[in-house]
Amino acid sequence: MRMRNAFLLGIALAAVHAPVSGDSEQASGRPAQSDGGTAWRHWTSGTAYTMPAGRWEVGLFQSLRHAGSESVEWSTHPLAFFLIPNLSVKWSHGSRNGFQIATRHSLTYPTPLLRLLSRKGIGGLISPEFHIPHLVSIYNEVLVSGPIARSLLVTANAGVCFAVKSGVLDERTTIDLPVVFPRLNVFYPGYGFHGGTELRADGFRRWRIQTGAGVFYYPAADERFAFEQKGLLLWNQSRTFQICVGYQLTFGEYPFGTQWHLFGPVFDLTWGWGGK
Amino acid sequence: MVNRHFLLHRLNPGWWMPWIMLSIFACDPLVNRFDDIEKAESYSTGRPVNPPAAADTVHVMTWNIRFGAGRTPWFGDGCGDRVIFSEGEILRFLSGIARELNRLRPDILLLQEVDVKSKRSAYIDQVQWLLDHTYFDHAAYASMWEAQVVPSDGLGRINTGQAVLSRWPIQDSERIQLPLRGDQDALTRYFYLRRCILKTRIALPGTGVFYVLNVHLDAFSTDDTKKRQIDRVKEELDKLAVSGAVFVAGGDFNLIPPGSDSTDFCIEDKCPDESFHQPGDDPLHKEGSNFTPEAAWLQQLYDAYLPSVPLEKYLIDQESYYTSTPDWNGFWNRKIDHLFTNASWIAASDSTHQDILDLSDHVPVSARWRLPEGAVR
Repeated sequence: MRMRNAFLLGIALAAVHAPVSGDSEQASGRPAQSDGGTAWRHWTSGTAYTMPAGRWEVGLFQSLRHAGSESVEWSTHPLAFFLIPNLSVKWSHGSRNGFQIATRHSLTYPTPLLRLLSRKGIGGLISPEFHIPHLVSIYNEVLVSGPIARSLLVTANAGVCFAVKSGVLDERTTIDLPVVFPRLNVFYPGYGFHGGTELRADGFRRWRIQTGAGVFYYPAADERFAFEQKGLLLWNQSRTFQICVGYQLTFGEYPFGTQWHLFGPVFDLTWGWGGK
Repeated sequence: MVNRHFLLHRLNPGWWMPWIMLSIFACDPLVNRFDDIEKAESYSTGRPVNPPAAADTVHVMTWNIRFGAGRTPWFGDGCGDRVIFSEGEILRFLSGIARELNRLRPDILLLQEVDVKSKRSAYIDQVQWLLDHTYFDHAAYASMWEAQVVPSDGLGRINTGQAVLSRWPIQDSERIQLPLRGDQDALTRYFYLRRCILKTRIALPGTGVFYVLNVHLDAFSTDDTKKRQIDRVKEELDKLAVSGAVFVAGGDFNLIPPGSDSTDFCIEDKCPDESFHQPGDDPLHKEGSNFTPEAAWLQQLYDAYLPSVPLEKYLIDQESYYTSTPDWNGFWNRKIDHLFTNASWIAASDSTHQDILDLSDHVPVSARWRLPEGAVR
């Protein structure tokens, strides 16, 4: 029973992480070619590129993604969908001066997850003495990606997140864990800003390196700032399978003060199919 | 034109491998498991320090302050449902505690169940708060339970333990691990409290080597855990005594004096939906309420050292020395807070402050300690 609870909790926390963070955890560009960007269009998670129409990608911890057309890509976290319903759409707006531009719009409803975690006994991350109202977060961001050298793709993203609540959410319901806290923090002040950059580089043969950093800023919150940085080493078997391993470094303001965390090794297996 | 492999040339394994290795080995554990002996945390005020000059006597007090939650029912130690208190609630009780300390004015204070930035107590660093709101200038703190998150009942982040507050500088302090509970499964034990001794060396004018040891033994074990813990405490005190040091040791022992009239509090402590002592009850006794098998475990300290309340005096009028009750509506009904020394107490200087009713589920216990004969002055 405890193992099952721990497994569910793991999925739930992964779900909190994945949809709101915009799937920016694990991905890579294809082998570098100076082709104006089409080579980056597989394993495009976290970039402004959309996948070729008809392509699917899914990872152990990443969202399920599908390109319904050449310019629109849908994603959701399938395992966690029933605990934390979430949907994201990335919409390509073409390229300007060699830089690909897209917007991403995400909707997340974490109430079922938070109510599940608000319980007596093992698995209770939130005290059951507090009521969890209906909560919805709406995140809109702009992504810009472009190759700055033969083997280097850089992506910048910035966005604003709003929260809608059906009632008062007690401030003592926070989950004071890295990765989780900065993403749920928006439900207390009601709005916040996210932004970041990412660099991915082709390496030797099928090896890739990817590094990125992001910030969360909630100007109306007591805990305003969080920073995350990651480094990943990826291996692409082909355009159908990818393995990555790496680390994530976090710094943030929490209700108890500031704290650094280093996570590792983080890993994922990703599969892709369909499309051209 | 940038070389295809330029990044790997720059980010060669010598650069990125340490990061990967660091990420593997440097991850923060959810729970601090502590070393057997490690340095305790030091605190001080920002005020100009002006310690008192040499004194013939030292007013010593021990008090389990129950993380500033007063006697409000809490899920973990009573029959309550509350888990997380508001800042206003905690500050109200802390203010009451500070008011009593400023009135009673102990020179050295041993606190148990002091929270440091815990979720249940509004993230207040209670050691620093009490330093800032009393006349003490120095403190040392040792945690008995430190977890990034306790994934049960919404308890969340916790850091709670013992503190020694002193008017004189604390020269050295260390945390000594006590044996863990032996009656829990591995997962529960991983997230559970790790009881300890906070051992401090205090620069008390007129004494040679003077130690204060703050003890908090297990509350809910049903096996011989407390026996092993009190044995470890005794071992530490014996070492100090043999070395020629003088000490005061005190705290919440969760053990009653030998010879106590009442040793089984299962019926007094039971919650409305609980049943004990009846055929078929499982468990037969309430955890932490049946002292009968443990009634003699404190005898070794009474035999070897001087209690602030002599055993004969206690046995004549036990109720006057009761220090605690888990019943948030009831009066004190057991004595589990004690002070011992290998020097001497001033006769009849002990106080069990039973009039302090609403600030904790324990009352402060104090006595005046006399500098040993022949001490350098």
